[in-house]
Amino acid sequence: MDAQQVAQVTEMMYALRNPAGIPTFPIIFIGLGVLTFALHILFVQLMLGTSAITLYGAFNNNAYWRRLGAAMLEISKVSVSVAIVVGVAPLLFVQVVYDPHWYTSNVLSADWVIAFIVILILAYWAMYYYYFQNGKNQDKTLQPKSRWSMITSLILMLVVGFIMHSLTSQILHPELWKEWYMQNGKLDYSGTQLHAYNIWRYAFFISMAIPVTGAMLVTYRRFKSVREDADHDYLNWAAEVGKKWIKVGSVISTVLYVAWMATLPETAGNFATSVWGILGGVAVIGYALWAQLRLKGEARFCSYMALPMALVIGLIVAISREMLRYDILNGFFNYNFMDYKIVMDWYSTGLFFLTFAIVGGVVLSYFLTIAWKSGQTVGVYTPGATVNKLGTLSIWIVALWIVQFFVVGFYVWAQ
Amino acid sequence: MDLISLYPTWYEPTVGSGWVVALIATFHVLASHTSVGAAMLFAYLSHKAYREDREDLLDFVKKYGLFLLVFTYVAGSITGPGIWYSTTVASPNGIGALIHSFVWKWATEWVFFVIEVVGVYMIVYLVGRVDKRTHMKISVIFGMASLATMLIIVGILSFMMVPGKEQWFADGGYLNGFYGTNTFAQLGMRMAFMFTMTAVVGGIVIAGIKDPAFKKEMARKLGWLGIISTLIGAAMFQWYLTSVPDQALLVMENRLPDYFVPSIMIVLAGTLAYFIITMLRPQMIVQGFAGAMTIIILVAGLWPEETARESMRKPWVAGQYVYSNQVIGKDVPGMDIKSQLPTIEKVGILKAHPFTPDHLKEVNNGNMIQAGEFIAMTYCSNCHSPSETGIRPLHRYFPEGVSQERVAQYVKGVLTTGNIAYMPKMPMLDSEAEALAAYLVLNNDGGQAAVTAAIDTEIEQRERALAEQKAQDKVAAVDLQEGK
Repeated sequence: MDAQQVAQVTEMMYALRNPAGIPTFPIIFIGLGVLTFALHILFVQLMLGTSAITLYGAFNNNAYWRRLGAAMLEISKVSVSVAIVVGVAPLLFVQVVYDPHWYTSNVLSADWVIAFIVILILAYWAMYYYYFQNGKNQDKTLQPKSRWSMITSLILMLVVGFIMHSLTSQILHPELWKEWYMQNGKLDYSGTQLHAYNIWRYAFFISMAIPVTGAMLVTYRRFKSVREDADHDYLNWAAEVGKKWIKVGSVISTVLYVAWMATLPETAGNFATSVWGILGGVAVIGYALWAQLRLKGEARFCSYMALPMALVIGLIVAISREMLRYDILNGFFNYNFMDYKIVMDWYSTGLFFLTFAIVGGVVLSYFLTIAWKSGQTVGVYTPGATVNKLGTLSIWIVALWIVQFFVVGFYVWAQ
Repeated sequence: MDLISLYPTWYEPTVGSGWVVALIATFHVLASHTSVGAAMLFAYLSHKAYREDREDLLDFVKKYGLFLLVFTYVAGSITGPGIWYSTTVASPNGIGALIHSFVWKWATEWVFFVIEVVGVYMIVYLVGRVDKRTHMKISVIFGMASLATMLIIVGILSFMMVPGKEQWFADGGYLNGFYGTNTFAQLGMRMAFMFTMTAVVGGIVIAGIKDPAFKKEMARKLGWLGIISTLIGAAMFQWYLTSVPDQALLVMENRLPDYFVPSIMIVLAGTLAYFIITMLRPQMIVQGFAGAMTIIILVAGLWPEETARESMRKPWVAGQYVYSNQVIGKDVPGMDIKSQLPTIEKVGILKAHPFTPDHLKEVNNGNMIQAGEFIAMTYCSNCHSPSETGIRPLHRYFPEGVSQERVAQYVKGVLTTGNIAYMPKMPMLDSEAEALAAYLVLNNDGGQAAVTAAIDTEIEQRERALAEQKAQDKVAAVDLQEGK
């Protein structure tokens, strides 16, 4: 591309920005976008990995695999929900600073965007169908029924993953948008095509499901081992499978990461050999080394650290991914998200961060404490005084939030 | 710079992009309102179970919760972002306007949304695994968090119809955009509706209760909840109508289908009758009856109500400044937003649109139909489908055999000047108006087949001309080399 063509693309991207501007500094949205993407992709990978174990268990006659498959189905169901709810945040933030790119990419493949919604619902319902067919079995070693529905669910989940991957890839090619809008010399308003993908990038993110699920298995053993009715032989076996998955999976993912970096578009310049390009791969292979060093034997503390470590690795990869986008759009096309028009709104900015920290922090601490403790208790769990107080505090905090909504609202209304 | 913020157009010929949004949104409204109402009902039942030490109420919460988890939380949590997706492809500047003004509001809702999703799993799966007091506390938090999600989203939905306060146009500010009469009227209406839906959908679960006494107790509870909320909802709807702009009422009176008012009245009467019958004779509640009632409310009540709310906003799609065709049609000094109409009036829509192909930037005889189609897709297709079916098809608005001259007069005299109250002003150069007229007449007479054939001919002629030009250039270059 010559300089004039690049300038035209830059002008187009700037023209597409929303004239309403944004209510605070753009870097904050990017930061939150990266953080929440790392969380989202962790649960996506958990969902895929645990679904795969459920399927493997369903087709395997080994009693341990059958039990593990049933246990991982519970985690898979919750992971889909959490992946969806956490995924809302990066979806929100990408529209704020990269709206020209996200909206164009979506409109050009609109049928797939709509299909994404339908396919995801079907995938989730297929998983629940499998659960309702088998969930009530007391004997988890029996051969499960309706295995086709779990296969369908996993395949459909991979399809929605690919749609999202493609939409994200299309963002990186503003030079091709107008070309994609024309098919065989005619304008194409149909949105029937996905125009860009990088199979290595897609495979890399999917493959990360292996080490992440390995981390889940290691944590599972540690979490369940304190229960009075724990079957230690089974749990130790599961943890050994998990350790293997972390190590082998990280190596596989590193190879795919290198392949992704080797196939970046020309507009990415030297990103693959830049600090962030290299750091992403080093972090992934570093996970295998960490597992080798820290997950020996009982590893009582580090077993609980396996999932947080996976999140840290995912966060580094998410930063690399964001830097790649910045390198292409700013480095090559001179589109700098940092100069987005700001119409500062301190009230709504402050309200979010306070809600996030106080409401989110206190309530989720309470919820997760209850979930954690009840999961480790045989029979009915009755919390102690401190946890009870945390519950009461949570109720008051949420109630107070609702009160402030109406107080501020009525005041503004009355003005 | 004469480019404006217009994206490519997505054209869905069968039902139209607008109806795709409406379908997803209506389904989401059903799922989300039922979820929020049920969350508050769970808080009440769980509290009662704790106070009276009753297992049966918690058992009901578990059954209803699991049912909701699968049918409304799963579908609701996906169709929620699904509305973003569908509006992104159907109305990118409409959703963009909301996102850029209320990003933190949505982010705040997301915090409650996370609490809600974790909470629903805990409510369902911890029955019998934690003590009743703890379950009650979880349920209360869950109920309030669900309500908070509704409080937040209603302010944003109200802004779509009209910014909270007129002051927002002059001074900007999130609070001025968010809070206003319409916000509170709509909030009251939606809260009432969510309890109605909770009572109706709850019937599906009541149908499965074996114990006649308990079944009767729950049928009465939900029946009263349904009757009171339906009546309050009807009153709130009247208040809501007083809070919308006059323009919206005008559209409602003139443009809504004839079946709208009777349909709403029949659903209202039917819903009340349903609750009375189920209270008097709980044994009549079987899953088929309750399920059918849910579908009836969805199809005959919710669908007309949501589509009416969409239609009433016309010609705007968000904040009374973004037209339904995505053009910004009004200055908003408080947000430093400038109307894009002067730019279009100056250079024409084809040159102002960032995605116009180079060969269509100026209308000529060789691209008339392509340019006309591009303009129709940009300006018209969001509200009027160029196909036979879909949303308010264009062919219904032009008599058969209408002349191009007559249509061009209409375009120049009515559309470019903005003389129809519920349609956007659509500035065009004369040549663009002629191209649009040519396309509309061809589409009216011969449909998509005729348009496609004409465009194919234009492309073929252009390619031939380009090939001839290339050949001539080659000959000229050879001549130059040979020194002729």
